[in-house]
Amino acid sequence: MLKKSLIFLLTVNCLMLSVVSIAHAATPTPTPVDKIQEIRDQLITNIASRVAALKLVEKRGIIGIVTDVTNTQIVVTDLQNNTRFIDVDELTKFSNPDFKETYGISDITKNTTIGVLGLYNKESRRILARFVNVVTIPFIIHGGVANIDSENFSLNITTEEGKQMIVDIENITRTSSYTQEEGYVRSGFSKIKENYNIIVRGALDIKDKNRMTATRIIFFPEIPASPKINSMLEHTKK
Amino acid sequence: MKKEKIILSFIATLFGLLVAGVAFYLFQSTKTISNSNTKTISFVSPSPSPMPSIFLTLDRPKDEEVVNSKILLVSGKTSSNAVVIVITDSLDDVMTPSSNGDFSTTVNLDEGQNILEITSIAPNGESITKKRTVTYSQEEF
Repeated sequence: MLKKSLIFLLTVNCLMLSVVSIAHAATPTPTPVDKIQEIRDQLITNIASRVAALKLVEKRGIIGIVTDVTNTQIVVTDLQNNTRFIDVDELTKFSNPDFKETYGISDITKNTTIGVLGLYNKESRRILARFVNVVTIPFIIHGGVANIDSENFSLNITTEEGKQMIVDIENITRTSSYTQEEGYVRSGFSKIKENYNIIVRGALDIKDKNRMTATRIIFFPEIPASPKINSMLEHTKK
Repeated sequence: MKKEKIILSFIATLFGLLVAGVAFYLFQSTKTISNSNTKTISFVSPSPSPMPSIFLTLDRPKDEEVVNSKILLVSGKTSSNAVVIVITDSLDDVMTPSSNGDFSTTVNLDEGQNILEITSIAPNGESITKKRTVTYSQEEF
């Protein structure tokens, strides 16, 4: 009996030893070549994750009207009427050309038009703002000349949306025309005729939403007002 | 005895349901709406608005793009007989596209955000406008 148990114990011992030796053989001490391979793999992984992060984030600049503002976030409606979320942190710089003193997020109020330059995250669709500045959006209208008031140097313009706008011509107004023959040349108020296709850039009157002061005008003597505008003008004349 | 009671109550319930059903049917059949009280509604599918005779696609610049060069290339495609106007903060540029409708021009950008308005006008006055916000900045962040 004792003999049998001794043989059994010896067999088990031998088996254990053989397993340990196999395990030792499987994990040899790393050679310098293996270490280089390991570092290379680590580098590749790091670069790949960095590239993925760079692709996820890109620089973007937007303009929008503030609809909501907190200490860490600004919500704006952009030029395409989309709601955009802007994150603000301690690195964000604020500026306002009309504000000589330091300007901060607490100075931004609703309905302020701001330009935002920052990092756009494609996944979260949020912009981490780096620069926020107050801007003025130019007012541009495109339509047909409905009426000319030569005494007051003003034009009545109808847009495709049916909007009527009185455009005041001032000394600062730069008027140009475009024809196939002459190309884009400087012109004047007296050359503008009814039903001409016209584009006006300027500033809206603060008191009257249907009035603006023109800074630049381009009119097209060879191109009539859009058919939509024409039908509207005929309807109003009737 | 109990079994009889259960059968009887089951039959009574069935009978009650049948009577209620007949009564409901009779009540519903008496309800009639006179012709004077009815209105015929016909659904007229809205006539599709005529397709504009002009198109405008912009290849460059991309909206909300940030560039570090003051000079920006604006290019795209429109109707070959149209007139293309590029309005920037500082000046306007008017051009006619090539015979295949391609057009391109360069504009000078101001520091910060610039709004570019690109309009294409057809000879009949129809037009199409696209807006792009492009930021000129050399800031590193």
